[in-house]
Amino acid sequence: MKTLIAISIIVLVAIALVPQIAHAQLAQQTAPEKYLDLRATVWNEFFRMTTAAFTVGAVVSGTMIWLVWRFRESNPKNKAPTRWEHLDDPAAGDPEEGH
Amino acid sequence: MGHDTAEWVFVAVVIAILVYVGADSWYTEKLVEDVPADATVIKVTGQQWYWSFEHPNGTKEISTLHLKVNHAYKFEIYSRDVMHSFNIPDWVVFEDAVPGHVNHAWFAPNQVGTYPIQCREYCGLLHYNMRGTLVVEPDSKT
Amino acid sequence: MVLELQKPRPVWQIMFSTHHTDVGYLYLVFGITFLFMGGVLAMIIRTHLFFPGQGVLISDSATFNRIFTVHGLTMLFLFALPVANGIGNILVPIMVRYKDMAYPKLNAIAFWMNPVGAALLWLGFSDTTWVSYAPYSVIRAPGPAADMFIFGMKILGISSILSSINFVVTVIKCKHPDMPLRRVPLFAWSMLTVSLMTIVAMPTYAAALIMMLTDRLGISGFFNPWAGGDPIAYLHLFWFTFHPEVYIFLLPAIGMMYEIIPRFSRKPLYSQASGVFAFVMLGIVGFASWGHHMYSTGMDFTTKVVFMIGTLAAVPASGMHVFNFLATMWGGRIRFSAPMKFSVGGIALFFSAGAGGVLNSAMPLDFITHGTYWVVGHMHLFLIGTIGFGFVGMIYYMFPYITGRMYSEKLASAHFVLMFWGTVQTFFTQHILGLMGMPRRVYDYPTSFTSWTILNQISTVGAWLIGASFVIFLASLIYFSAKGKPANMDDPWGIGGKYYYPVAAKNPHGGHSGY
Repeated sequence: MKTLIAISIIVLVAIALVPQIAHAQLAQQTAPEKYLDLRATVWNEFFRMTTAAFTVGAVVSGTMIWLVWRFRESNPKNKAPTRWEHLDDPAAGDPEEGH
Repeated sequence: MGHDTAEWVFVAVVIAILVYVGADSWYTEKLVEDVPADATVIKVTGQQWYWSFEHPNGTKEISTLHLKVNHAYKFEIYSRDVMHSFNIPDWVVFEDAVPGHVNHAWFAPNQVGTYPIQCREYCGLLHYNMRGTLVVEPDSKT
Repeated sequence: MVLELQKPRPVWQIMFSTHHTDVGYLYLVFGITFLFMGGVLAMIIRTHLFFPGQGVLISDSATFNRIFTVHGLTMLFLFALPVANGIGNILVPIMVRYKDMAYPKLNAIAFWMNPVGAALLWLGFSDTTWVSYAPYSVIRAPGPAADMFIFGMKILGISSILSSINFVVTVIKCKHPDMPLRRVPLFAWSMLTVSLMTIVAMPTYAAALIMMLTDRLGISGFFNPWAGGDPIAYLHLFWFTFHPEVYIFLLPAIGMMYEIIPRFSRKPLYSQASGVFAFVMLGIVGFASWGHHMYSTGMDFTTKVVFMIGTLAAVPASGMHVFNFLATMWGGRIRFSAPMKFSVGGIALFFSAGAGGVLNSAMPLDFITHGTYWVVGHMHLFLIGTIGFGFVGMIYYMFPYITGRMYSEKLASAHFVLMFWGTVQTFFTQHILGLMGMPRRVYDYPTSFTSWTILNQISTVGAWLIGASFVIFLASLIYFSAKGKPANMDDPWGIGGKYYYPVAAKNPHGGHSGY
């Protein structure tokens, strides 16, 4: 599991970095423009930000989907009541103890 | 009650991402706000409901703006009545026209063509129709 | 009336009551009524934009401008605030174990200012947009609509200050002496936070409204450049109130999710302390970010940076809420009844809206997104996706408590699926439209831009789905409050435990039979 997580992090970093390195090399080969290409600069920033946003989004929504699937009450693994359910109000119990 | 390590790690990751977002946009904004010194100044005036333009040599245009490719242009944006917002979406040029203020935007088109100009701040009845055209022409000298 | 049908009371008894549950019911009925009135306007707007260049439904842009203005005002001030206040009125005194709100008469007065403000907004039907930027609202907006808008907003503002004072005093001074402030349930904490924020933020806008009125009358020239004023001053005053106001709309919905999620996970909340911390944190840093609405007004680099940092500072606190929700669900045994479905859907959309918000706050991206449909999509994801989902979930949660009857779980599921799908389709599409450069608040767009047409049509179909889901909602509210099966009042959803806030409220007029 840990190696899997490590590999996926490395892959994600590579996906984010490789196009930028490639782009930087391309930019060195072509003659430098006289002026800054405003729209390219801003849109590149936009795509860097969306890469970050969608990566985080994938993690968060993946966690949520897994949570909903795993801890739904109809999941066979969830037959046993939680340790707070004998209380009058499980939601007001102490998260540490459950007595 | 109480936090645990997982929450601290989570908050740290969020802050790290935000620092990246902040630093990256600080750097980019710095690049973008740096207007080239040799930019030609175009006066842009917004009024209900059309744009008018004035070139440095005194030529005036209404609704259609003719510019040359591979030159830098700096817009001085004025408004004659209410707030407007000068916008060329294809070139990411965008700045409000505020009466009583002079605002600036700049760009250097590197592609010949015809592009829409529009108003992006609500300015009344015909706000939706406050459109113009930018024509980027080939530079005859080169 | 759908209220308290098990032991009916004459309507006037509820209307002239100062009891906190009765005032709460009035707020709820008022807010839900205006949800549907504002919703009809939204359907008209979206259907109109389905057919560019034909003037379908709305034949002139003046009417269109008035419709989207009143749609915005209605949804924000006549739906979101009253519903939050209504649920707050019913639950907060019970949560802090007090017999009523601190000032019952003030409470009723604060409510009865709402219909007056609503009448002014709807009869005026102003075209200033809900932000009513000067100088348009000063020199060009037609009267008497704009003046009625000013007075209507004035009255609604005073009303929300009065009810905020009431909530603050109720929570801080009237809570049970055995209950330390940090143990007060998180929904009451959210109402406390937003009430304090309202008291700090709202006077600024109240001042700006008076300045705008005297400007319109020609007495002064605060915002009128031809009289020596500056429109940017209005923008600062406006957004100093209304960026915090964004959190004032949002936090009650988060508080409601804190109420629902542990119950349906059959598990205590992960951390009360981090919930309280995140509320207070948002309440403070919410005041540090208003300038991000004004990047394009000629703001200098340093100011932009300051406001960008202020905006980003709100993100960790919002993230702590999401973390708290997910950690609460972790290890639970979750029953996905309607309130839980809406809460979980709300968290997912809250995250999407928040991620879009981080992109917005990056200064260079303002060139792309500001004033376009991106912003429309972004803020609707918050307003429907988070606030709407939280409120609808809470209304389903309160339904058996108020009516003594059960709604249909199947219809509620249909409502949820349609609303979730519709919200995603409508507002994610609007983000893309914004990236293509379509400005917001436009009556029409050129038919030659075919991609705009297609995306607008996709967005409109999504809006129709949301509309259909709310037809189901309205029908079930009316039908099941009269004809629904009697609910098991100890445990309406069969999730175990005996907790039942609203019957603990002792209404002098009787209220529920047998409790």
